[in-house]
Amino acid sequence: MGIDYKKLGFKAGLEIHQQLDTHKLFCGCPSILRTDEPAYFVKRKIHAVAGESGEVDDAAKFHGERDKEYSYQVYDTTCLVELDEEPPHELNKEALRIALEICVFLNCKIFSLSQIMRKTVVDGSNTSGFQRTVLIARDGYIETSEGKVGIDSVYLEEDSARPVERNEKSVVYRLDRLGIPLVEISTNPDLKSASQVKEAALKIGEILRSAKVRRGIGTIRQDMNISIKGSSRVEIKGFQDPKIMEKCVETEVFRQKSFLDKGEKNPKEVRNCMPDGTTEFLRPIPGPARMYPETDLPLLHISKDIVNDAKKNLPKLKGEIEEELKKHGLDEENIKLILKGNKLDEYREFYEISGNPKLISKLLILFPKEIAKKSGKSLDEIRGILTRDVLVFVLEAVYKEKIQEKDVKHVLEKIVSGSPLIDAIKLDKKDLVGVEEEIMKIVKGKPGLSPNAYMGLVMKEFRGQINGEEAIEIIKKFLK
Amino acid sequence: MEIEENYGNYIEVEMGKEIYEGIILPSPEAGTFLLKLDNGYNIGFNKKDVLKMKLIKKIEEKKKEFEVKISKDKPNVALVILGGTIAARLNPGKGGVDFVENPKDLFRFYPELFEIANVKKVEVPFMKGSENMDYKDWKKTAKVICELVNEKEISGVIVLQGTDTLHYTSSALSFFLNNLGKPVVLTYSQRSIDRGSSDATLNLICSARAAISNFSGVLVVGHANTNDEFCLGISGTKVRKMHSSRRDAFKPVNAEPFMKIYSDRIERISEHSLRNEKKKCALDNKFEEKIALLKFYPGQNPAILDYYSKEGYKGIVIEMLGLGHVATSGGRLSWIKKLKEVQQKGIFICAASQTIYGRLNPLVYVTGRELLETGVIYLEDMLAEVAYVKLGWVLGHKEWAKSRETVKEKMLENIAGEINKRLVE
Repeated sequence: MGIDYKKLGFKAGLEIHQQLDTHKLFCGCPSILRTDEPAYFVKRKIHAVAGESGEVDDAAKFHGERDKEYSYQVYDTTCLVELDEEPPHELNKEALRIALEICVFLNCKIFSLSQIMRKTVVDGSNTSGFQRTVLIARDGYIETSEGKVGIDSVYLEEDSARPVERNEKSVVYRLDRLGIPLVEISTNPDLKSASQVKEAALKIGEILRSAKVRRGIGTIRQDMNISIKGSSRVEIKGFQDPKIMEKCVETEVFRQKSFLDKGEKNPKEVRNCMPDGTTEFLRPIPGPARMYPETDLPLLHISKDIVNDAKKNLPKLKGEIEEELKKHGLDEENIKLILKGNKLDEYREFYEISGNPKLISKLLILFPKEIAKKSGKSLDEIRGILTRDVLVFVLEAVYKEKIQEKDVKHVLEKIVSGSPLIDAIKLDKKDLVGVEEEIMKIVKGKPGLSPNAYMGLVMKEFRGQINGEEAIEIIKKFLK
Repeated sequence: MEIEENYGNYIEVEMGKEIYEGIILPSPEAGTFLLKLDNGYNIGFNKKDVLKMKLIKKIEEKKKEFEVKISKDKPNVALVILGGTIAARLNPGKGGVDFVENPKDLFRFYPELFEIANVKKVEVPFMKGSENMDYKDWKKTAKVICELVNEKEISGVIVLQGTDTLHYTSSALSFFLNNLGKPVVLTYSQRSIDRGSSDATLNLICSARAAISNFSGVLVVGHANTNDEFCLGISGTKVRKMHSSRRDAFKPVNAEPFMKIYSDRIERISEHSLRNEKKKCALDNKFEEKIALLKFYPGQNPAILDYYSKEGYKGIVIEMLGLGHVATSGGRLSWIKKLKEVQQKGIFICAASQTIYGRLNPLVYVTGRELLETGVIYLEDMLAEVAYVKLGWVLGHKEWAKSRETVKEKMLENIAGEINKRLVE
């Protein structure tokens, strides 16, 4: 399209929210998103409250005046803290450590003392009526091919409840997401073109994925602030796909320019990015009057020790990890699958137990897929059964020679079909019955071959299920 | 440049290599101060690390004026504000806590209250956290309320206080305010009022409803459950804080609530006395200070009673186990002898139950009968906190305190709904 961004005075900054892979930020609840029926509902109202200057904030008014009813879905994985019925617990230390690692990667200056703040939220997405957030670092940068991009600040905050149903008078929220730790990274308005916006987003994304963060749809959210010379700043939310970013930037620049061409000014507002790259109005931009201290919690001290600890145990970036796994003898395909499947932590843990990279990668990636296919269950369901603890149990059984490596898949299948763990590793001859029958078919199907030739055919079919010795014994049975 | 003098002003501060700008605020931690940055976030610094500080802009506190609507069609209520979360407001500009104590502030925080009734009068006899209140505060409060309810144009009184001892206050008012013909409603909040989710809003709306209703007596009003749907109106002598943080912390004990209160209506649940404008409230706030509330625990040494005896105490409510038991002659440390001793010296010993729910009965087990024989007064299903307040009030009447029989009679007389002869749950 050939937009002259420089001439237009284009300014853009990114705001990236990434969920961390720990328990919740201000309580001990697990960060688990639910798809099943809630245990019960709680009904609340949120009132617009005058800010410290006595004025009700525009964004606050926008929601508060509508007198909506909010309904919250409660689960056995949420507690009184999410329900705003108990004060917050101490800030999750693991989440802080992960956030600090990210700050280090982003070359930021970390504050030694900060205050957890309440950011007024009146759309009902926080049961408290505010979001807890704390500024932990500022003044960092990342490099892009079009120059350095400054990191203005890094925040650690709690995620909001997710809306599951909206209508005129009420909104239903699910409490599962409320309180999951989020790192928010905001860049300076340094971005000079649509392509640089995309590159910076990808770069920050790579840094985030090197740390212990949650993966999958909705675990990372990118917002963008865009303005051109003479226009008002517009915040755009809801990019799931970096590909749509460039398109969206271009569309928004044209939209703002069309106001200026008519001698008008676009309103300062938050807009939502649609899948086709166009945007639609969401709400007015919240004002600064919305912040006040979280008085239920002490000041947050970030000591030199904690920062040094984060620096010392810094996770490796993707390239370094690939190198590490290659040294273990894993091929590129497996490395890719482990990283893509966010299985690195489990891989490393399992490697400590068994030191058998190939078996571990099968356990984590291949077997669950194969079993899902064979059993007709979904992969999520299989993973729900073959949890970390189950896999550790099986791996230890191999290590203690209770079962052989070749039996592992079969043991997993038994577990998936409901066998208790202890029974699953008790293997007797019966388990070979099916195999015997198949071998008999092979032998009878191609009469007159040598035992070694049958052996080749059988092993091709049953590798991993029986070993050579067992195979030859069975073959001999049918040759007699 | 002094740090403290500039609290609230916009400054520039040099810390090592870094320069920061923002509004300087006091910090909750000694030796530190806070800086509110332009993005609204507060960060902190050690005072001793400051190299240079420069005043950029003095910031004057803006006082917004709010118009309070008074309408002749609406009934009038009076507010008595004693403190607590419901009346505390953070002043982020100064970092401290302010109390909401004039009608204009109240209107700002609770506009809904003013839609139901005119707030004709606001009295603030004192402002404190409820954990710091005691019988002297109850006496003062009762006096203020008694005068307010006797004002013709006032339909009812709403009392705002902290939750921790609210049930003590409601109990004291129940005994102190004689011949009450109007509603005296106590309410609270468990969530600070600066937040959009505060429970204060519904509690106040429902309290206003109750204050103009046909009820008379002392009523505690607050969330019935975790939903923002309706409140319960509970007798001032049958209520207890049963949760440290939930909105529905106050529950009726050994009684049904009087009513369910919605923002637009009241549903009566059980019998209560009715408004009678002809009645004139009479203050009876005598109180004996030398009384105690003692919780028995297994293995407790009865010598603790010697302390109270030595200190000149006149009465003790003992929170006993189960149906009303403490260790007796079968135990390693029997209380029987000591209980006899102190009662002979003139100390009144009353029993309430640690189980909170249910009625005492000393006749079921030998233990109970042994204790009963020492002279312990078994207070039926009365809550221990209510028993404490009532004992102080009864013994405060010197003419009653002279006679053991009168004291026992008064303690067992149902004066303000504190005894329920028919427990159904």
